[in-house]
Amino acid sequence: MATTRPRHSAASTQFLDPAVLGRIGNLELLARTVVDGFLTGLHRSPYLGFSMDFAEHRPYMPGDDIRRIDWKLFARSDRHYIKLFEADTNANFSVLLDLSASMSFGSHSLTKLDYARYLAACLTYFSNKQRDRVGLVTFDHEIVDYVPPSMKHLDTILHTLDRAKAGRPGSLAGPILRITEMLGRKGILVVISDFYEEPDAVLSALGPLRARGHDVIVFHVMDPYELEFPFQEASGFEDLETGEQIPVIPGKLRADYLAMMNAHLAALERSFTDHRIDYRLLDTSKPLDRALFEYLLSRERMSKTR
Amino acid sequence: MSLAFLVPLFLIGFAGVVVPIAVHLTRKQRRNVVHFPSLMFLEKIPFQERRRRRIQHWFLLSLRALALAFVAAAFSRPFLDQSSGAALGSAGPREIVVLLDRSYSMEIEGQIEQARSQAEAILSDLGPLDRASLVTFARGAEVVARSTSDRAHLRAALDTLTVSSGATRFGPALKVAQTILEESTLARGEVYLLSDFQRNGWTGDEGVQLPPGSSLIPIEVGGEDTIDNLMVTDVSLPRQIVAGRERITPTARVVRRGGEATQTVSVSLELDGQEIQTVDIELAPNDAQSVSFQAFTLSRPHTTGTVRLDDEALSADNSHHFVLSPGSSLSVLIVDGAAGSTDPSLYLRGALGISDDGRFDVRSRRSSTVRPVDLEGAAAVFINDVQLDGGSAERIRTFAEEGGGVLVALGQDSGWPASAADMLPGTPGPMQDRLQGRGGRLGYLDYEHPVFEVFSGPRSGDFTGARFYRARGFAPSDSAMVLARFDDGSIALAELRLGRGRILVWTTTLDSFWNDLALQPVYLPFVHRLAEYLGGRAEALPWFVAGQVVDVANPEALETAGLVSSEAAGLVEGLDQVALSPMGGNLALPAVDGPRYLPLEEHGFYTVRQPGTDPDRPFVIAVNVDLEESNLGRVEPDELALQIEAPAIVDDGSPRLTQAVELQKEDQERRQSLWRWLLGAALALFALETVISNWVSRRATGAAGVVAG
Repeated sequence: MATTRPRHSAASTQFLDPAVLGRIGNLELLARTVVDGFLTGLHRSPYLGFSMDFAEHRPYMPGDDIRRIDWKLFARSDRHYIKLFEADTNANFSVLLDLSASMSFGSHSLTKLDYARYLAACLTYFSNKQRDRVGLVTFDHEIVDYVPPSMKHLDTILHTLDRAKAGRPGSLAGPILRITEMLGRKGILVVISDFYEEPDAVLSALGPLRARGHDVIVFHVMDPYELEFPFQEASGFEDLETGEQIPVIPGKLRADYLAMMNAHLAALERSFTDHRIDYRLLDTSKPLDRALFEYLLSRERMSKTR
Repeated sequence: MSLAFLVPLFLIGFAGVVVPIAVHLTRKQRRNVVHFPSLMFLEKIPFQERRRRRIQHWFLLSLRALALAFVAAAFSRPFLDQSSGAALGSAGPREIVVLLDRSYSMEIEGQIEQARSQAEAILSDLGPLDRASLVTFARGAEVVARSTSDRAHLRAALDTLTVSSGATRFGPALKVAQTILEESTLARGEVYLLSDFQRNGWTGDEGVQLPPGSSLIPIEVGGEDTIDNLMVTDVSLPRQIVAGRERITPTARVVRRGGEATQTVSVSLELDGQEIQTVDIELAPNDAQSVSFQAFTLSRPHTTGTVRLDDEALSADNSHHFVLSPGSSLSVLIVDGAAGSTDPSLYLRGALGISDDGRFDVRSRRSSTVRPVDLEGAAAVFINDVQLDGGSAERIRTFAEEGGGVLVALGQDSGWPASAADMLPGTPGPMQDRLQGRGGRLGYLDYEHPVFEVFSGPRSGDFTGARFYRARGFAPSDSAMVLARFDDGSIALAELRLGRGRILVWTTTLDSFWNDLALQPVYLPFVHRLAEYLGGRAEALPWFVAGQVVDVANPEALETAGLVSSEAAGLVEGLDQVALSPMGGNLALPAVDGPRYLPLEEHGFYTVRQPGTDPDRPFVIAVNVDLEESNLGRVEPDELALQIEAPAIVDDGSPRLTQAVELQKEDQERRQSLWRWLLGAALALFALETVISNWVSRRATGAAGVVAG
């Protein structure tokens, strides 16, 4: 049964502009603002249906899952109604946030890390409101902070996100392996990173998570300058993680760079798809609600397959 | 002239020239640094790498290096050291000045010919770009050829060289050389001084200083300075009146310098070209004798005379010329009181009557009235203690305005009519007694005035012995000149110019009644000088010295030169005259307004007359050589050269010399200020470099791929 694709008003889209969000210092307030505003503008359907507690009935609409028709009420009223339940999944929801130095890059008011933090805060808040147990792992080339999944850890997670800073070189393999060992219960894992590693290395790092039965959603956070490489002036380009510097005349390298970047993105998407990992590329200049849509779509898909 | 630096330490800055090169070769490309998340893609892109080990823009690099070099040079404060120009050797064209001595001592042993040969040798060595000047000199300097490279002209000028009658004076010639070198544009100057280097020609305070870069090359002609030289140094011509005619007894002084044995010298006297007498004397080496000739009667004006010795090496000083004319007595009128037992003019008349040559013709008039006939022929009038009437005073006024001289001696009876009060140099007052002590004295005398000039020398007349017990007070007018004062400041002698004549007032008597001046030895010459001054008599000079000048348009100068009568000499005032020089040359003296100077450059007799006339006794001026030249003692040529060359800077380590050298360098550097030009050029180069490098940079942007440092 197909779901109704969420829509949002132009006003809400404008409100979720990352640049506007950047002016809100408190992450909880930010998450609440994003999620509540987002929910207000959404169709209710995706929000409901993940819980066992009855909420209400609504008339059957074509496309609704016929398994959710309340046949007893049909017997009494001879009409088809859909039985809706309160959302209460009690699933483990963890965000794996990359704090490597490359995440500190930003070509406008928000860095990739800022964007990732907002995203993580919103998703965590969102999940917590759905009564999921929320957790957080931040890592670079090792685990920086670990907040175990819990219904009561929202504040801790938001606090941890608030003070998260990128600064050290990062790698996926080591930290993810540790996380795999730490997370015993299956759950939803949201990995937020810029994935500056070879696609094979990324997949080999995330593969064990999927193998353990976690639902893995990957958000690939990229700055528009990384995607478009609009630099003009000949400059020295310094690697944020290694400090290596090379002189570059962008006009001469743009085509090659974009070709390699696109190939990299395509390879990542193909690899993740092959391993049934949801992959979403996020442009930090784009509104945040798109990421939330992607998440909800993924949740819905998970629920259908579950 | 060489390039020097005031602060050479800054030349270290020239090392800065390598800075642009080093920067160019070692500097990494300094551009904007972009912090990028990862270089994993960029590093995979193959790119061209070009090391900056090759200099791409030689022109820019040269500009930068040159600008830095200019800055370093400017801070070093460079200057062209002109003081060391003399040490440059033989490079560059020369400005040559040949100074040739033609004083009369150069006639000795053909020294003038030696000098001519030396000068020719110098001129023959002239380079193609050299310029030369020829200057002859004796007492004065004459530029014969000035700063020319025309050798023919120089040689022709050299051929006209003759010995003059002047004495040696190095100062004017060296001044001329200094001027020529200072005006020259050539870097090097050489002054050749060809002379016999007589010591009398150089005093050391001539103030000559050749410009830097010039040198003086003294060339001494002649050999020894101890030749045997005879000379007539002086001739005295005392006059005596014998039987109403003047008789002259010449006495010549003959001096011998040098020599080794006693020598017999013939001394002859010539009058009007005829030898009158010859006297032989024995002269030991470095000896002198006076030779007296027989007296002769002087009856004709402008009589020429010569005392002559035998010719020897230096002949110019062997003859002594003079001109004599019969003297004329000065007519003096003495007017004194008509009555009284005493004679107030006793001493005055007596003093004027005492002279061997009868120079004063004294007449007396004892009356308070002066008649016109009394003043006829009189040159001087003494109004001695008398009360004149108004008519007499007016006649005296007329007499004075026409050129006569009057002395008014104030005494007890003297007075002056009020109508003629403006004739006197002041107003007579009452009698003033100086009875305390030993009376008053003369406290001030104007020794520059002709009356007292002869008393200015030591032992030339003592006025301090005279005592003055009484005098008339005298209030001088504004136009009066005070010639003598008593020791209390009151006036003793005052003068007033009246027309062409003069009136003097003596405020005390000329006898011994109010003072004892008449009893003093100085009284007689004082009265003589008074009478001569009042009568306008000028002492005629029997001879001049070569180098002097006579203004033939000035009657007083002519009278001094011995002119007795213009009419007798054939000279008419306002017409052209001509002078015949001793060597036979003619000097035209055209009639012009103002002075007509006759330069007396040759020794012998100059004859002055109207052109086309042949008077019986023409006006003759005798000229003798300057005897300083006869002293053949020599100055060391190198010593002279050292005094006038620009001082060479020799660093002997003394602080004052070091300081002087530094000051000289600083002065040169400040005057030249080359650092301003260098700094300006450096700024211009920097500006040009900026423009060009920006242009090159704009062109280069985007042209290359990746540039790695």
